This record gives sequence, C-alpha cells and structure tokens, in this order.
Amino acid sequence: MAANTGQGRGFVTFLVGLTVACAGLAYFSAGFGKPLFGVGLVIVIASLFGFLKLKPLEGKPAQKASPTTMKLAGAFVAGFGWVLTLFGMHLVPSTGGRIVFALVGIAVSLFGIVYVLPSAFNKNAIWKT
Amino acid sequence: MNLIRRSCTFLLLALGLMVSVMAYGQAAAAAAAPAAAPPPSAAELKDTAAKAPTTDQLKAGDPGGTITGTVNDVPVSDPKTGLTLGDTANQVGQNKIAINFVWTLVTGFLVMFMQAGFAMVESGLCRVKNANHTYMMNFFVYGCGLLAYWLIGFAIQMGGAAGNSNLGGLNSLSVEHPLVLFGKTWGIFGGAGMFLAGHTYDVGVMVIFLFEMVFMDTALTIVTGACAERWKFLTFAVSSVLMGAFTYPLYGNWAWGGGWLSQLGTNNGLGKGYCDFAGSGVVHAVGGITALAVCLIIGPRIGKFNRDGSSNPIIGHDISAVLIGCFILAFGWFGFNPGSTLGASANGNLRIGSIAVNTMLAGCTGTFGAILYMWSLKGKPDTSMSGNGLLAGLVAITAPSGFVSTFGAAVIGLVAGVLVCISCAFIENRLKVDDPVGAISVHGTNGLWGVISIGLFADGTSNYGGSWNGVTGSVTGIFYGGDGWGQLAAQLVGVSTLLGFVFTFSFLLNLGLEFFVGHRVSAETEMAGLDIPEMGQLGYPEFVFRPEPEVMTHAHAMAVA
Repeated sequence: MAANTGQGRGFVTFLVGLTVACAGLAYFSAGFGKPLFGVGLVIVIASLFGFLKLKPLEGKPAQKASPTTMKLAGAFVAGFGWVLTLFGMHLVPSTGGRIVFALVGIAVSLFGIVYVLPSAFNKNAIWKT
Repeated sequence: MNLIRRSCTFLLLALGLMVSVMAYGQAAAAAAAPAAAPPPSAAELKDTAAKAPTTDQLKAGDPGGTITGTVNDVPVSDPKTGLTLGDTANQVGQNKIAINFVWTLVTGFLVMFMQAGFAMVESGLCRVKNANHTYMMNFFVYGCGLLAYWLIGFAIQMGGAAGNSNLGGLNSLSVEHPLVLFGKTWGIFGGAGMFLAGHTYDVGVMVIFLFEMVFMDTALTIVTGACAERWKFLTFAVSSVLMGAFTYPLYGNWAWGGGWLSQLGTNNGLGKGYCDFAGSGVVHAVGGITALAVCLIIGPRIGKFNRDGSSNPIIGHDISAVLIGCFILAFGWFGFNPGSTLGASANGNLRIGSIAVNTMLAGCTGTFGAILYMWSLKGKPDTSMSGNGLLAGLVAITAPSGFVSTFGAAVIGLVAGVLVCISCAFIENRLKVDDPVGAISVHGTNGLWGVISIGLFADGTSNYGGSWNGVTGSVTGIFYGGDGWGQLAAQLVGVSTLLGFVFTFSFLLNLGLEFFVGHRVSAETEMAGLDIPEMGQLGYPEFVFRPEPEVMTHAHAMAVA
C-alpha cells in the first residue's frame, strides 16, 4: 500500500492543526490565543500518531535498523562543534583566536557529520547483505 | 510756558527729522536691492505648469513620447495652493519606492520561475518510472513552503526586519525576540507578520514577503532532488512544511532578519558581521545540508551500491531536460542575485549591473571548471556534471555577488566547478550517501564555499548606503585589506552555524518524522517506480519502458528489509 486515503486525511489533519496552532500564536496575547494554540498542538500530535498507525500498512522499505545511540551521538558531536565556536567568540577577544575556534568547531561538526553519522547508518546497510 | 512750548516743538521736530532720516535710509537701502521676488522654485513650478501640454495637444496623440509624463501628472495636495515643492518632493519619494517595489517584485517573479528549472533538472536525472513523482515534489513544494511561510515562517525570519529604506522602511516588522548573553543583545527570532495580518498588512511588507518566500522555496526544493526515487510523498510534504515554517526561517532571521549572525560586527567587531548577499548560506547551504541529513536517514536507492561498497551509476532518463532546466535556473538567477539589492534606486543599488555580470561569469567559469576537470581526468566532458558545474558556480557566487569584482567572481566560479566534482565523488564513494542529482555537492558544499569566499574576495568597493549590518564602511575580505580577517571570522561562524546547528536541527526533526511517518517507500514501490503507487499515474503513459540494467534486477534480492 503506497499513497492512500488515510495518508490524505492525516495530512489534512496535520495542516489544520498547524494552522490553528499558528493562529493561536498570532493572537497569544488576546484571550482566545492560548486555548487556540493548545487545540492546534493537540491536533498536530494526533495527526502524527495517525501517521504512526498507518506506517506498518505501507510495506517494508529496503532499510535495516541502525544503532540509535550512534546516530544521536553523531548529532550531538555535530551540534557540539557549533557550541565550541560560540564559546570561542566570547572567551577569546582576538580575531585570530576566534578564527581558530571557528575552525575547530567546524572540524568537530564535520567529524560528526562525515564520520560518526555515516558509520552509524552504514553499519547495517542493506547493500552489505 | 513759551520755553516748554519751544522745547516740545523742538523735540517733535527733532523726532520727526530722525524718523524721516531713518525712513529715507531704509527706502534707499530697499531701492538699492530689488524688491523681494517669489522663491525661484515656486516661480519655476508655475512656469513649468504653464508650459505643460494642453488637453488638445494630448488629444492629438504622442507617438514619440515627448509630451506624456509632465508636471501635470504630479499629484497636487491642495488644489487651492496649486503645485508646491512639497508635492514634487513627495512624488520623488514615491518614485524611488515604486522603482524599488517593481524591481524587487519582478526579480522575485524570476526566482519563482526557477521552480520549473529545478523540476526539469531533478526529473531529468531520475529514471522514467519516477518522473511524475519527482515533478510533483517540485510542484507541490511551492504550495507547502508558501503555506508554512505565510502561517509562521515569515514572522520568524523577518518579524524584526524593520529599517529597510529601499522599501519604505518596513516599520511594521518591528518585533524581534532577543537573548541577552555576556552583556550583549542577540536577535534570535522575529514575531511580527504571521498571516500578514494586522499592522503587517502593508504594501512594503507584501513586497518583501513575496521576495523572501521564493528564496525559501528554493531551499526546500533542493532536498527533493537529493531524496528522489525513494522519498514517500507524504513525508516529503510534512518535512517541507516544517522546513518552511522553522528550519529555514531561523537561520534566515539570524542572517537577514536582524538576528545575531548579522550582529557579529556591531557586537563583536567582526567585520560587517556575517554577510550573505543573496543566500549561498541562507538558501543553498541550508537546503544542501538539510538534504544531507535526510539522505543519511533515507538511505541509498536499491542497486546503488554493491556488496563491496562500489557504486553503480543510475542514469537519468532525459538529459535534454537537465540542460534546459539548468538554463532556466541560470536565467532565474538574474533575479536571485541582482534582486537582492531590494531596489534599483538609491543606496548604491545601481550596482545591479555588476551583480548580474558577476553571476554570469561565475556560472560560466563553474561550467568550465567542471567540464575541464571531468574531461581531463575522466576522459569525457560529462553532461550532467557540466550542468552541475554551472549550478555550482551560480550557487557559490550567490553570497559574494554584491561585494566582489569580476575577477573574484570568475575565480569563485572556477573553484566551485572543480569542487562540485570532487564533492560528488566524496559523498558517494566515501560517505556512501546516494544523491541522485548531486544536490548536496552543488548547494551544500558550494553554498559553504560561497559564504567563505566573501571573507577572501570582497573588494571593499560596494556602497549600499554607507554601511552593512549597521557597521560603517564596505564589506572587505582578506585579499583587500581593511578588516578582512574579522570578516573571514564572521563568515566562519556562519559556516559553523550551518554545519552545527542547521544540520543537527534538520537531522533531529527528520529523525522524528522517520519515527512517526517513515521517509522511505516500500521496497516493492521503489522497484516498481514511484509514479503509479504514489501518484496513481505514469509520467509518460504512452512510452514502452526498457527493462532495467542487470545490476538493478540483482538488487531486487536486496529489497527485502
């Protein structure tokens, strides 16, 4: 089963929920904004769980599970590189020092993106079987 | 008594004499200078109005255009007073804003047309069984992005962008939510402009919304190419909405909406802060980096890699569509880069010609870089890589186009053309990431190169109102002195933010979608082609399809998850 009516209805629900939530945000300071935002958020979450119910009916993709911890670790390393750069802007007053911190931060982020994450996803890659 | 009478008479006579002498002196002085005439400008206006073509003259027609558009066309605020200098000055101001509105809107229309170019390039590089699906992703991404941007994305990105004198000030966009850190104020996201309602229902805001929206959609469409041939249509739609609502606008605010990246100059003394004239970083790198995040999650196409890790070329079905699509993109880029002045009048905006030429040149040298690299190292002037070379040059020049000379543009493009070839090979062969159209290399890698190149090649001759990001002076890179090193530092902070924040944010967002929705279609759907299962219709229903190469049929055994 590929595209189907369940997906269509789920997407409509998602869009309605997002629109209502945004309307609530736009009028947050008015009386009705907060409950409207809450209702919208609930509708969006309901649509996501609707998708979750449909997922097993759509057939198995050509993919095997890969280690979640390693994936999250890769994301963490990528994000940490950015944090390093930001702290460098504050800790070091000189332009040269800030360039060094920026380069170190970029290198750390790249380590997470081009080494840790591909290793995680290719560990159980379907083409290896 | 007689004495008093005589004294009074004498005094009166003396007084009268004094007054007479004074009056005579004033009259003499006044007679020496001409009588006060009406101010010259008012007299000129009256004279010009008197000489304006009459109704009878206009009724006779104006084939040469010599009597159409005169002082009679200037609106008069008070018919009793007639035309005044104030009326004329107001019209001059309106004309400046109108010129800038028209420029920004028409260039925005050109960028919107790039959607057609992207659709043709991506679909042409995919197999025929996925043509409908690929075209539909590029078609529907326009609606998904526009909706998300109207709901909330524009407010996040530009909600605090007031102060643009090209478009009348945009003063209703005056809500920026800051963070105070280490004694300094840093803009994080905007808040005005959701649904373009209330005080943001404004002529200037409408213009900037349209222009920024088409840029945002370019970023969204980049991801569709990298994930083509196996991306579930539902997940593509949800992912695109979320990217248009949150991912792109956040970084866009930091660079263009008065956010913290642009404040690196005023807050940290780093050059003019992070600079990105037309969006190598904001648009292309965000798109390319998000594409990499989703490609990692979605995995390679069936048959792309062999058991030993070597890759198989999967040939696209329509190379003519690819090259025509590249030309459509190159044409649209004349809106992308020159349009980013947001005006053609005042504030140094006459530099639009330089920006357009820089854009052309970089595209040209990008093509040369890719063709010559492939021809000399691989033996053939590869067609698809040549198209990617053109696009890579255009992507790389997008950020520096307003700040560099033609020499800088040519070098930036040439480097981009070579870089895209190396990057494609690296991403496919080392990372084992399958990108059917090379979007990660064209937009991600060269978007980052474009951001860095400002810190190298900006020549300090541009002058967009005497300052940039609130710092007086011109943007200058290290090859041209000034505060080039500070500028390079600011650009590197931007690169770090793209890699460290944008990638991580996109990755986690799409990992969440993988859990709830699932990115990839089933193996059966992928083997059959996405057109029928996902769209219900073939892209070319009257064509008879050839069987796929043997390596693809072998891969069928790998389809069971």
